[in-house]
Amino acid sequence: MTTAEVRTPSATPAPSGPRSWRGAAGARLIWLHLRSRRVPTAVLTIAVCGGVLRAALHWNWTFHSGLLVQEVPMIIEAGAAAAVVVTTHSPFGEPERTAGRWLPYLRLGTTLLLTGLAIAVLELTVAGASLNGGILVLARNIIGFTGIGLLSSLVTGGLLAWVLPMGYVAFAEYALNEAWVSPWTWPVRPPADRGAWLCAGLAFAVGLAAFTARGARTRLSDNS
Amino acid sequence: MTATAPLDRAPRARAAAPLARSGRWARVLRLEIRRSTVLWAIPLLAALFFFDTFRTADGFAPIWTVRSSVINTNMIEDFGPFAAGLAAWVGSREGRRRTGDLLTTTVRPAWVRHAAALGGTLFWLLLTFLLAVAALYVDTARQATWGGPPMWPVVVGVVEVTTFAVIGFAAGALVPGRFTAPLAAIATFLLAYVGFHAALQVRPGTPTYALLSPSTSVPLGDVGVFYHVAPDLAIAQVMFMGGICVALAGLLVLAPLFQVSYLRGFFSVAGRVSRWLCAAGVALLVAGVAAAATAFALTGTARLGVSGWDIPALHDAASDQPIPYTPDCAGTSFTVCLHPAFSPYLSSVATALQPVAAEVAGLPGAAVRAEQVTGGYGSVSLQGLRLPGASQVSDIAGTPPVYDFVSDNGLAPLWGTPAIAGGGFWQSGFQQEFLIAFAANPASFSQTAAQQAVITALMVAVGSPAPQFGEDMTNGQPTAGATPAQIAAAAQRFESLSPAARHAWLAANLPALRAGHITLAQLP
Amino acid sequence: MNIELSDLTRKFGRTTAVDRVTLDAEPGVLGLLGPNGAGKTSLLRMLATVLPPSSGTLRLLGRDPGAPAARKEIRRRLGYLPQNLGYYPSFTVVEFVEYFALLKEVPPHMVPKAVAAAVEKVDLGPKAKAKLRTLSGGMLRRVGIAQAIVNEPELLLFDEPTAGLDPEQRVAFRALIRGLGQTATVVVSTHLVEDVGAACTEVALMSDGRIVFRGTPAELTARGVGHGVGDAPLERGYTAVLAAARSAS
Repeated sequence: MTTAEVRTPSATPAPSGPRSWRGAAGARLIWLHLRSRRVPTAVLTIAVCGGVLRAALHWNWTFHSGLLVQEVPMIIEAGAAAAVVVTTHSPFGEPERTAGRWLPYLRLGTTLLLTGLAIAVLELTVAGASLNGGILVLARNIIGFTGIGLLSSLVTGGLLAWVLPMGYVAFAEYALNEAWVSPWTWPVRPPADRGAWLCAGLAFAVGLAAFTARGARTRLSDNS
Repeated sequence: MTATAPLDRAPRARAAAPLARSGRWARVLRLEIRRSTVLWAIPLLAALFFFDTFRTADGFAPIWTVRSSVINTNMIEDFGPFAAGLAAWVGSREGRRRTGDLLTTTVRPAWVRHAAALGGTLFWLLLTFLLAVAALYVDTARQATWGGPPMWPVVVGVVEVTTFAVIGFAAGALVPGRFTAPLAAIATFLLAYVGFHAALQVRPGTPTYALLSPSTSVPLGDVGVFYHVAPDLAIAQVMFMGGICVALAGLLVLAPLFQVSYLRGFFSVAGRVSRWLCAAGVALLVAGVAAAATAFALTGTARLGVSGWDIPALHDAASDQPIPYTPDCAGTSFTVCLHPAFSPYLSSVATALQPVAAEVAGLPGAAVRAEQVTGGYGSVSLQGLRLPGASQVSDIAGTPPVYDFVSDNGLAPLWGTPAIAGGGFWQSGFQQEFLIAFAANPASFSQTAAQQAVITALMVAVGSPAPQFGEDMTNGQPTAGATPAQIAAAAQRFESLSPAARHAWLAANLPALRAGHITLAQLP
Repeated sequence: MNIELSDLTRKFGRTTAVDRVTLDAEPGVLGLLGPNGAGKTSLLRMLATVLPPSSGTLRLLGRDPGAPAARKEIRRRLGYLPQNLGYYPSFTVVEFVEYFALLKEVPPHMVPKAVAAAVEKVDLGPKAKAKLRTLSGGMLRRVGIAQAIVNEPELLLFDEPTAGLDPEQRVAFRALIRGLGQTATVVVSTHLVEDVGAACTEVALMSDGRIVFRGTPAELTARGVGHGVGDAPLERGYTAVLAAARSAS
């Protein structure tokens, strides 16, 4: 190679390759992104939550009556949501944020994928068992807790984003004991409560939008 | 950078003296305290304490043992998960921040660093916890009329929070991944809730191991009022949780052994940990497991006594003696006496009982006074759960007849705030219980139709609303032997009699009425 | 001798990272050069008592680090700056250095003075109370140097110490380690030959886990005369020695 070749830019843009190459590259990018966020471990963690929920129903940890029928599943659903929100942490920091335009889409896709997976996995594990409120309450709680966690991640960072959803669970337990009916007690409202769905959905929508645009707060030298 | 003259060095002087060691550790601990992650979680803990624990306690009767029961239930559910999760976060710090290599090259072994980091975390957790307890006790002191703050619930609570923190820290130190902290928090949440309700299921004749649950309620009833609360169970819980902490501490001391060099195997790595440290770690592990196992075995022997759950090996018979007290009394023609701990309810009880007592005064078996007595222990039903509770029911007995009522008084228990006791619903419930003891069998869950009609008539006669009797259905048939409408009609007939006529009829027919031999048709 | 290595080997699986290295070092500054993957960091980690050797003998400050008591004594006199420095973002500069001073058992009454001196030596006095998360990469590196020297070690190990430092700071760092090398053994693992040339009294060149050159910077320079590729005499000596080592193997 001569310097003349280096100094004279090519007249035509470099070919981007056949569509199959681009598809393969896209899939590779997605897979690497998922691995960097420890998504495989998150899926395993969600599966563990599902197993615990199944065990809780099978061995009567909810005692079939009283407040535990709602409380125990809600705690486990928050656990699944926590597994989703801790994947918001990026180990790369600034270099990743400045490396092109795909990161917001990857964030959005990863979060939607994991949230949907959490709902599906937990529903599968309780299939045939009697879950108070059914899939609707399960889905609503996972969506709502994930939304709170996503919002929290902008302040606390992804690794500590589980704290606020846990706090909300504790608050919801009290609301259940006191039989409060406001929409913002959505984790303990009946499945058909529209206000509860609105609140949970809003938390998720706002959290997802903010996280997609900004990403979780990152700190250097944090890598796990 | 400047190359100044090196500081004076005296290797012998730098050999660590014990005082220097403790001063050094104190400074490391101070650093950890100042920079603890728990600090920013304190507002959340304070909010949870206020909304959950404090407001719940405020709705209870202003009795020390009742109010303090929230320490081992609501407070643990508020503090425990965050203690475990945040401690796991701190424990995983060296793994997350990649400071392992660097810290390995320092003199102090890993357990010193871990102790300091855990100490810094526990400092804020326990400080917040104790401040919250103080707020609870100050509020109770302003309302309670007898007794003093019980300390065993606080001790158990402190040990519970510490145990959760140690478990979380150990999990974070051994598995420094991003999922460890939230999983530790969730597991603690579940343990607190499920364990608590498992403990509530325990009653005489069932296995009692669940009483070791991190969140065990004080038995319902008036324990701690008429009798001391036996510390047996608290001691066993502290032993159990303390054993877990000690065993985990041993595990952390031995943790470097688990970092196996794949080539040279376990024994070569073992050579890199001093022998005494190994021995100490093993000793801690064994001692901790032994303590926890002993506590587990002891709790299996627990039985219900007058002072709550007794464990024979730990029980001091002196705590079975009743606590002397001078009752608070009101009324002259019909005296009502309550234990001074329940003084806030005195005027409500007197207001409720005096009219109905006057209505039946002079009749055979009519009480001349009312006195609160201890409930004893059995089980009651609450939210579908069988709970330890009063075994004795309110009844009229003795010569002259005295209405002995218990704090767990069926329709009108002395549990809620005194303001609730001032309400019409509570007062009519108390009257109903009195009249059930007078005109029916208080040990039975249901009354005959005639008994219900007479009780209804007597309550209406003193101006109270007609009481509600639950229909006791077996085989689809009302065992009261009549419909509510028929009972109401008979009650109206009986109430419309003159007081003298009612009095005369009752004087002649009370024994038969109490025995259940009177039918609705036989009522005038 | 502060460092005595004899046939020191370290393997990771089937990979031999350090291959029968024999090396002695007295007080002074020893530069450790070599390409990526030569085994410099593995050697340094063994000297730092982080890794045990797979075989061979290792004596540091006259002691065998395999024994726990001796290892403790070595670490009391050791300063180590790894290539990737982890830190706690919420600590301030002073707190971070103090933390290590305490863990290294600097007498408590001497800690404040030692910490202040270390922070001044790396020119971070104005930033003493700043949180680590607010510092630049170069400043963090200097914090790492400060924690390594706070206990006035007799054995100092630096792995890429000047990464992120500006030229002025690099000059100051070289002066610092020259001063430290008067009384301590300083081992500096680096890719920057100018650091070696300016600060080191001796150089060891590693390639494929082995020491392929040991001598003074002048001797290394001489090896490159007429043979090596590079823009500076030391670089030419470096490439010449490496080329010879590779052709011999």
